[in-house]
Amino acid sequence: MRVVIAEDTVLLREGLAGLLEDAGHTVQARVGDGEALLAVVAEHEPDLAIVDVRMPPTYEDEGMRAAVEIRRLHPETGVLVLSQHVEGRFAVELVSSDGGFGYLLKDRVLDVGEFLDAAERISRGGTALDPEVVKQLLAQPAADDPLAELTPREREVLALVAEGRTNASIAKELWLTEKTVETHVRSILGKLDLPQDGDTHRRVLAVVTYLRASAA
Amino acid sequence: MLARIAENVVEAKDVGMGGLRIAAWVVATANAVFLAMGLADMDRTLGSLPWALVPFVALSLLTPSVVGLLIANRQPRNRIAWILLLGPLAMTVQVPLALALGKGWALQMDRASWPLLYAWPIAIAFVFPTGRLLSRRWRWVAGAAIVSFVGFTTLAMLDPDPFSGDDASVPNPFADNAVAGWLEDTHLWWIWAILWAGMLASLFAGATAMILRLRRSTGVERLQVMWVAWSAVLIPVALVLCGLSAWAIGTAVIDWIVFPLILLFQMAVAASVGMAVLRYRLYAIERIVNRTLVYASVTALLLAVYGAITIGLGVLVGGDSSWVVALATLVVAVAFRPARSRIQDVVDRRFRKARYAGVRLVHAFEDDVRDGRRAPEEIGAVLGEALGDPLAELWFWLPETEAYADMRGQVGQPPVDARARREIRRDDAPTALLLHDPVLLERLDFLDGVLAAAALSIEMARLRVEVRIQLAEVAASRTRIVEAGYEERRRLERDLHDGAQQRLVSLGVQLRRVQMTLPREAQILSASLDQIVDEVGAAIGDLRQIAAGVRPARLDDGLAAALRDLARTSPVPVEVVAPRDRVAASVEAAAYFVACEAVTNAVKHASPSKVAVRAFRENGTLRVSVDDDGVGGAVVRRGSGLAGLRDRVAAHGGTLTIESPRGGGTHLEAEIPCV
Repeated sequence: MRVVIAEDTVLLREGLAGLLEDAGHTVQARVGDGEALLAVVAEHEPDLAIVDVRMPPTYEDEGMRAAVEIRRLHPETGVLVLSQHVEGRFAVELVSSDGGFGYLLKDRVLDVGEFLDAAERISRGGTALDPEVVKQLLAQPAADDPLAELTPREREVLALVAEGRTNASIAKELWLTEKTVETHVRSILGKLDLPQDGDTHRRVLAVVTYLRASAA
Repeated sequence: MLARIAENVVEAKDVGMGGLRIAAWVVATANAVFLAMGLADMDRTLGSLPWALVPFVALSLLTPSVVGLLIANRQPRNRIAWILLLGPLAMTVQVPLALALGKGWALQMDRASWPLLYAWPIAIAFVFPTGRLLSRRWRWVAGAAIVSFVGFTTLAMLDPDPFSGDDASVPNPFADNAVAGWLEDTHLWWIWAILWAGMLASLFAGATAMILRLRRSTGVERLQVMWVAWSAVLIPVALVLCGLSAWAIGTAVIDWIVFPLILLFQMAVAASVGMAVLRYRLYAIERIVNRTLVYASVTALLLAVYGAITIGLGVLVGGDSSWVVALATLVVAVAFRPARSRIQDVVDRRFRKARYAGVRLVHAFEDDVRDGRRAPEEIGAVLGEALGDPLAELWFWLPETEAYADMRGQVGQPPVDARARREIRRDDAPTALLLHDPVLLERLDFLDGVLAAAALSIEMARLRVEVRIQLAEVAASRTRIVEAGYEERRRLERDLHDGAQQRLVSLGVQLRRVQMTLPREAQILSASLDQIVDEVGAAIGDLRQIAAGVRPARLDDGLAAALRDLARTSPVPVEVVAPRDRVAASVEAAAYFVACEAVTNAVKHASPSKVAVRAFRENGTLRVSVDDDGVGGAVVRRGSGLAGLRDRVAAHGGTLTIESPRGGGTHLEAEIPCV
């Protein structure tokens, strides 16, 4: 996997690069702001761009805007946005509108395995949504919401689906067989009246779109 | 005074007027020279004149001439000036004539020319101040007047009668003249009576003309007419007072008083004309007329009282008695002050109706203010009403900022336009600026009177406006402080996320790399490193929690998002209804913290089963209400969270209300302006 990293804190940037390289990936460029990021993405057309939300010059949402721009200009490049806290709406919109996009809190990096999983998933056109964001989307459904009909286990599965996980990954996380996960997923999609679809990416998009609509 | 008038002399620019100016000098000089000649040789010229009257005559002939010259110097074409110049010359020119033609001519002219003494004041009455007659019809009146004066004087000159008294021996040069004889024969001589009546009628016509002008004129012209009318009216007033004094005190010297008085008042008329035309102290006339009326009335009244007492008691007691006179004097002396103030009041009411009404309006307003019916700031409108000037505008002076403010407390610059600007002071410090119609400058007495009456109200209104502005400033600074507090929270939140939290993440990543590159023999450390990284992760979580408490980052996404986050973290179900549209960040923050504190309070103290947070915009305010079904009984105590909320809301110019009946849940509502 060929990666570019945009992160203004040098220590973290080098740490991330080290983690990726240790795992056998190629870090093609390391930059500190959105403009430089767009330049190196155009130059290398990498598989993945890892982007910090807040970067110079304004430290507001440069990373987010650069991410949108990269998805528009280089659809083959996946984007993983890292943030210190949940920005919310914007990220969810990006995740649900398209594949090849991920949004994670920075400290997820510390769980190296899952972080690399998510990175690879995104580089292949998949998605990754931070569990914290998913938790907010799932919190306290209204009484007439079909979400309320889900069993606790189904809710757990739904959360992992929304995070962008594959059935295999979900099975591993919950100590279940893939078959059982499949059954749960089918039941969930049925209760939420979502189309049954074998493709994981499209399934995630449908679920996140649904959650977004019901949380609004 | 003459020097002051002379200062105002402006060189006429038109060179063609130089000739007229020289002519004026010639006439005035001739007048003075003739007068001097007459005084030098009184036997042959003014023989019949008592010596005591000489200075009066001289002054009454010199004054109009000098005034005429002063006016002619500035305005050589001014007809008034020429009337003043030629009027006395008609008298003084008789001196050289008399010297040349002899004693008989002198006596005859002396006997015949007295109407000329009155001709020029009447002429001025006809044409003052414009130099033109009132209308075409007045030509007939003026013509009749000229015919009367010229005709009468001519007839008088033709009088063939011999002289009387000491001069009986002097032959009349007009004795046995043919014209007089013909008039006698045809019995047309009686025409003198018609001419005499014509002269008297023209006197009244002059008075009528003045009254008409006084009524029709406005502004400066009205003041000019007033000056002259005032001096003209003095003549009959003085005559009446003389008559009264003769009756009351019984002096037999009327002849010695009346004639000099008339001469003096001629001087007064001339001087008034000068004042009016040259506009010197033009505006003082209202006060002068007022004072004249007051003192003339007081004098008349006291004379009447004095006369009534002396004559009445004289009849009762019989004969003259010194104690009767003493008593009358005492009564008059005691009555003077009260009589003066009463009459002043009546005159004020009658004569200065506008001022009186204006002052009364101001006083009525003060009563209204005292009873709480009107606000002191309305004084500006009241002044406009009292002054009859709808364009009047009052600006209050703010000494601290050295600026002006209107009645609503808007600081600004009083507009510069055609209106006159009048600074109002109290105790030598400026209080306000009045913009008003410049016409009022011609009625300074009126303006001053109304402003003096309103001085206290103006100062009161000024103080209120000043306090209101200061309060607004205090409120604004409180809002600024609170907003700065929000900004500080935001900065702190940023620092936590981008500083400490970032460092911890970096630290964790480094630890992970160390862990991954551990040599086989050190793998035993891996479990410890896992633990350490978990601790680092927990620390990051803690920091995130702290930052959210300082200021939830979700506020960046709007109030609705932040409130929903609040609901998610609450242990009690919280229903949230909030608008998606955004208002000012500081208002959103205030609303969020109100809701947050209220929900926390409810959960902590009221044990509710559910809480409802509602926010909606309405008429430029953001309403946030928090209702719970808990135990109620919440009160705002000093230093409590609710009191803090109330301060926070007040800082935004909003209000916070709490209804919390015991056992009936709590309803808390904040209204925050958000325009």
